[in-house]
Amino acid sequence: MAATNGATIEKVPVYCYQCVAGPDLLKVIVKDGVAIGVEPNSDFAEQHPACGKVCVRAYGLIQKLYNPGRIRNPMRRTNPRKGRSEDPGWEPISWDEAFDILGGRLSTLRARGLVDEAGYPRLAVTFGAGGIAPAFLGTMAAFLSAWGPVDQGIGSGQGVKCYHSEHLYGEFWHRAFIVAADVPRCDFVLSFGNNGDASGGVTGVYRHSEARVRGLQWVQLEPHLSITGAGAVEWVPIRPKTDAAVLFAILHAILVEHGWRSVCDVPFLTNMTSSPYLVGPSGYFLRDPATRKPLVWDLDRERTVPFDDRLCVRPAMEGEYLAAGVEVGADEAVTSVSQRVRPAFGLLIEHVRPYTPEWASGIADVPAETIRRLAAAYLRHARVGATIEIEGVTYPHRPVAVLLGKTVTNGWGGYEACWARTLLAALVGALEVPGGILGTAVRINRPAQNRHDSVRPGPDGLMEQSTNATTREGWKGSPHIRNAYRTLVPLVNNSPWSAALGPAHLPWLFLDKDAAPEHWPAPTLPEVWIIYRTNPAVSSWETGRIERELERFPFVAAFAYTQDETNWYADLLLPDASDIESLQLYRIGGTKYQEQYWQHSGWALRQPVAATPFDTRDLTDVATELAARVGILDGYLEAVNRGAGTTIPLRDEGYDHSFKPGDKPGVTEIWDRVCRAATHALTGGRVELDLDWFKRNGAFFVPFSMRQYFLHTTMVAQGLRYEMPYQERIKRMGEELSARLHERGIKWWDVQLEEYQALPKWKDFPGIWQQTAVLRGKSAADFPFWLLTSRSMQYSWGANVSLPILADVARHVKGHFGVMLNRGAAARLGIANGDLVEVESPTGKTQGLAILREGVRPDVVVILQQFGHWATPFARDLGMPNLNQVASMDLTLTDATGSGADLVPVAVRRAS
Amino acid sequence: MRWGMVIDVRRCVGCQTCTIACMQEHGLPAGQVWRFVADCEVGEYPDVRRLFLPMQCMHCADPPCVPVCPTGASRQREDGIVWVEYGACVGCGYCAVACPYHSRHLIHEARGYFDALTPPELATAQPERVGVMTKCNFCKERVDGGRAQGLTPGIDQEATPMCAVACIANVITFGDLDDPKSPVARLRAETKAQPLLPECGTEPSVFYVVE
Repeated sequence: MAATNGATIEKVPVYCYQCVAGPDLLKVIVKDGVAIGVEPNSDFAEQHPACGKVCVRAYGLIQKLYNPGRIRNPMRRTNPRKGRSEDPGWEPISWDEAFDILGGRLSTLRARGLVDEAGYPRLAVTFGAGGIAPAFLGTMAAFLSAWGPVDQGIGSGQGVKCYHSEHLYGEFWHRAFIVAADVPRCDFVLSFGNNGDASGGVTGVYRHSEARVRGLQWVQLEPHLSITGAGAVEWVPIRPKTDAAVLFAILHAILVEHGWRSVCDVPFLTNMTSSPYLVGPSGYFLRDPATRKPLVWDLDRERTVPFDDRLCVRPAMEGEYLAAGVEVGADEAVTSVSQRVRPAFGLLIEHVRPYTPEWASGIADVPAETIRRLAAAYLRHARVGATIEIEGVTYPHRPVAVLLGKTVTNGWGGYEACWARTLLAALVGALEVPGGILGTAVRINRPAQNRHDSVRPGPDGLMEQSTNATTREGWKGSPHIRNAYRTLVPLVNNSPWSAALGPAHLPWLFLDKDAAPEHWPAPTLPEVWIIYRTNPAVSSWETGRIERELERFPFVAAFAYTQDETNWYADLLLPDASDIESLQLYRIGGTKYQEQYWQHSGWALRQPVAATPFDTRDLTDVATELAARVGILDGYLEAVNRGAGTTIPLRDEGYDHSFKPGDKPGVTEIWDRVCRAATHALTGGRVELDLDWFKRNGAFFVPFSMRQYFLHTTMVAQGLRYEMPYQERIKRMGEELSARLHERGIKWWDVQLEEYQALPKWKDFPGIWQQTAVLRGKSAADFPFWLLTSRSMQYSWGANVSLPILADVARHVKGHFGVMLNRGAAARLGIANGDLVEVESPTGKTQGLAILREGVRPDVVVILQQFGHWATPFARDLGMPNLNQVASMDLTLTDATGSGADLVPVAVRRAS
Repeated sequence: MRWGMVIDVRRCVGCQTCTIACMQEHGLPAGQVWRFVADCEVGEYPDVRRLFLPMQCMHCADPPCVPVCPTGASRQREDGIVWVEYGACVGCGYCAVACPYHSRHLIHEARGYFDALTPPELATAQPERVGVMTKCNFCKERVDGGRAQGLTPGIDQEATPMCAVACIANVITFGDLDDPKSPVARLRAETKAQPLLPECGTEPSVFYVVE
C-alpha cells in the first residue's frame, strides 16, 4: 500500500478468467478504497508465458464492478405472465427472502422426488460462458454433488463458442480437447478458419506474435479475412463449409501425387499408427482367431502376424494379400475370413484417390494449383527425419500444423475435417511432437489434470477409450437427462463435462411438442431451472423459439449480473459477486485450453478488491446457505472435502483440512482450507500457504516440465499407436448404436448414424444447410449468401456486453457494430457503407448497418459474435444484429456428435 | 536523450488493449482516446491484406502543433515529449489543425459512461482538462516518476508508457532513441523502422516496422 498525494493506493493481485484462454494475472489499482485501474502483474512475468500481461477485457473489470446497470439486490417477479412484452415487475427483496423462495422450491421438489415421471431430473442447472464458469462458481459444484440428479444439459448455445467435433474426436485420437500448434517450434501452419489471435487469449496472441517475427508461415483459409488472417502470409478465401474437401485434396496430393513413401514419415506410420492393420471384407480389422489381435502382413515372412509381433519389421502398408482370420463386428459378431485383404493404409490411398485438387477446386472455390502448392509447402516444412532436444529428451521435430476454426469443426463436416487434419499430422509424424499439433487439455477423459496420465493401454495396441456403451447390455436406452448424451453420443463419455458437450440444443428442440421425436420420453420441463452466465435467448440458434419455450418454464432462478434476454423470463434474480468482488482459488499454468503452455503450474487467487457497491453475494456463501436451507449441508461439506468444485480434496495423504458434520463455514474459511490443501498437495507437503498469503501474493507456482506438452513419450513408453487412419471403433460403435436405436423403433437419428464411417467420405455439407429453405417450402436459390459469425476478442465470453467502455474500443475493429459484406457484392445490390441492410433466412429476418470490406467473399456476410440484445442495458442500444436470430435449430442440421454450426443461407438487401 | 517508440505492425492483432489501458491510465472521459489501433485493408478482393496500425501522437522533433499555439500551451520538452500545459490552453484548436496525424483531442465535457459518474470516474476525474486540448504525452508522469526512482523507461514497467506495458504482443518498444544500446534504438536500426508520413517533414519519434 502506498500513499500518493494524500491518497492511499493499493494494488490487489487477482486473476482474470473472462475466457478459457486464461487465467491471466493482474493487479487491480485501488485508490482510497475505490478500484480505479488494472495493470499486468509483473511479479509473475517470469512464470507467465506472456510476461504477466492481460488483454483488453481485463481492463473492463473496473467498469464491470461499478456498472450501474447491474442487478443491485435480489428481486422476485411479480408478473406471473412471461413474454417479451410482459414487464417482469421486479420487486427488490432481501437475500434472506430470496433463500426462502429458492430453498423452499428446492425443498418441495426434493420431497416429491429428484426425478420426474419421464425419468428426467426435476432440477436443471445451466452454466454458460464456455469453460469459464467453474472459475467463478465457488463451491456450487459441491452443492450439486450433494443434491443428486441434476440436468446440466440444457444448452446455452454453441456455434461461435465451441470446437465441438474437435473436442470429441480430438480427445479420442490424441487426448486433445483443444488442438493447438506447437507454435514456438512450428514453421508452417495451414489454418482453416482458426481465429487464435481473437480467441487464443493473451498467451496465444503472444506466441503467434513471436512466431510471426521469427518467420512462421501462416496460411489462412477462410471465407472472410479474420483478425488471425490479418497476420497470415496468405489468405485463401474458401467457400464456407467446404474445408473437408480441400483437406481431402491435400491428402490426395500427398498420398497419390507425391508418392507417400518419399515424403511421409514411414516409421511413424508403420509403428505408431494402425496403418498396417489388415481390414476384412466387412470393414473390420482382420484378427487372429485365438487372440483377437489385429493382423498385419509381414512382407519378409509373407504371412499374417499379430500387429505386435516384434519380429515383423516390414509390415505391408499397401497391396492385397490372401489371408485368413476373423472379423469382430458390431455386438461381437464374429465372421471367419479367408480371402484377399488389404492394409488400412492401402484402403486410405484408394479412399482419397477420387479427391483430386481439381475436384476440390470446384467445391471449395480454391484453385487446384493453390491446393497442390499448399500440400507441397506442408511437406517441405515438415522436415521428416529431423529431431530436436527439449529438456534433455530428443524428440522428432515436425514444424507443421493444420488448425481448424469453430464453424469448421462444428456440425456436419466436422468429423471429416478433424479426421483429415489429424491424419495430415500423422502422415509426417507431426502428431504430439515438437512443432506439430498438440492437445492442450482433457475434459472427457480422466484424470483431468494430466493428459499423460489419461493415456492407458487399450485393445489392439491403441489407447483405451472411455465411451458411452453401445452394447446391448451397456447401452443407456432411457435418457437420464434431456439432451440424452449417454444415449446418443458414445464419444462424449460421462465425465462432469459430458452434459455440456452433448447435443445440448436437443432439449430446446424436443420441448416443442410438434418436434418431439417418436419412441422417446415425453418432453418435460425442469421444475426448477438455475442459470448462471448463460443467455440462450441470445446465444442459441433460433432465438425466437427459445423465447417461446422460456415462457413455459415454471420456475427459473437466475444468478444475474444485469437484466438480460433470458433472465427476463426468470422468477428470481440473484446478484452474484462478480469477478473482482468474490473469492476463489483456481488452478493456473501447465497446459490447458487454447494455447496455455506454461513452464510453471500452480494456483491463483481471485479476491474482492474493494467494497462491493451492491448487495451481491459470493457464490460459495450462496451454495453453503442453500445447502443448509435444503437440509443437505453435511453432504455438501463432504463434497467440498472431496474437492467438488475446488478440484482439490481437503483431506489426503499427509494433510487433513476437512470440515466436520455440523460445520457451517463462511467463504473465507472454506477457501483458506483450500489454499492450504492445494499448496500442500502441489509441493508434497513442503509448503502450505494460507488465504492471507495468497491475498498478498496472488499466486503460487512450481516448475512444470515442457516434456508434459508432448504425448509422444508416453505413447512410445506404453508401446501405443494412434488410431489413424482407419476408424474401426467409430464404425463399430455406429453400427451398434444403430442397432440399439432401431430395436426401439427410433429412426430419427439415422442420418446422424451415417457419420460413423471408418474412412469418412465427402458429403455435400453446404447443401445440408441450403436444404433448410426447401424444408420450409422455399427455394434455396432465393438465399444466395452465407451468413457467418466470427469472434470478437473484446466481447467473447466475460458477460461484458453491457460495458460501454468496451464498445468504445471495439468500434475500432471492423465488424463492430454491423453486418460485414463484400464491397463489390454490395455495389451490385446498391448497398453503400452504413446503409441499413436486411438479412433474411428461410426462418427469419434481422437488420444491421452495412460495413463494406474487401476481405469478405462476395457470397458471404458476417455478423460478429452474438448480440441482438433487447433487454440487456447498453447492449440493447447497440443496434447490433445476431446470426442466431435467423439461424434455424433443426435436427437435420445436427451431426452425430450433437453439434451444429453457425452457418445460414440468407438473402441480403438494402432495408426499405 | 530523445524518447521514442518503435511499433512493430507485424505483431499487432488490433486487440485495443493499448487503447483501453491508455484511457484508464489517463482517466479519459467517455468517448475520448489518445491512441487507438486502426483496422486497415489494402487491395481489392481477393488480393487484399488486412493490417492493424496503432495510431497516436508521434512526438515529432519538429512538431507543427507547437509553433501554431497562440498561448504557448503546446510545448516540447528537451527530451522530445510534446505536451499541453492545460492551464495555458484556450482550446482554440490551431494545434489540432496543424497536426498531420490527427493526434490532438479537445475535451468538450467530462462525460462519464453512464448517467452519473461512477466511483472510479469520480476518483480519476481531471476537471482541468475540460475545454482544453489533450493528447498522448508518452505517459510523462510515469517516465518522470520512474526516473526519479532510478528506473529506466522502456525497461522497467513503472517507468514505461502504459500502452507499451499493456501490449500483449510486444508491439510497442519505448526508450531513448539517442542511446544506441537501448532496445528501442537497436530495434529501429535492425528493422529499418520508418515513420508515418515522412513527407510532412515533422521528424516523428515513433517508427513503424511493417515488413
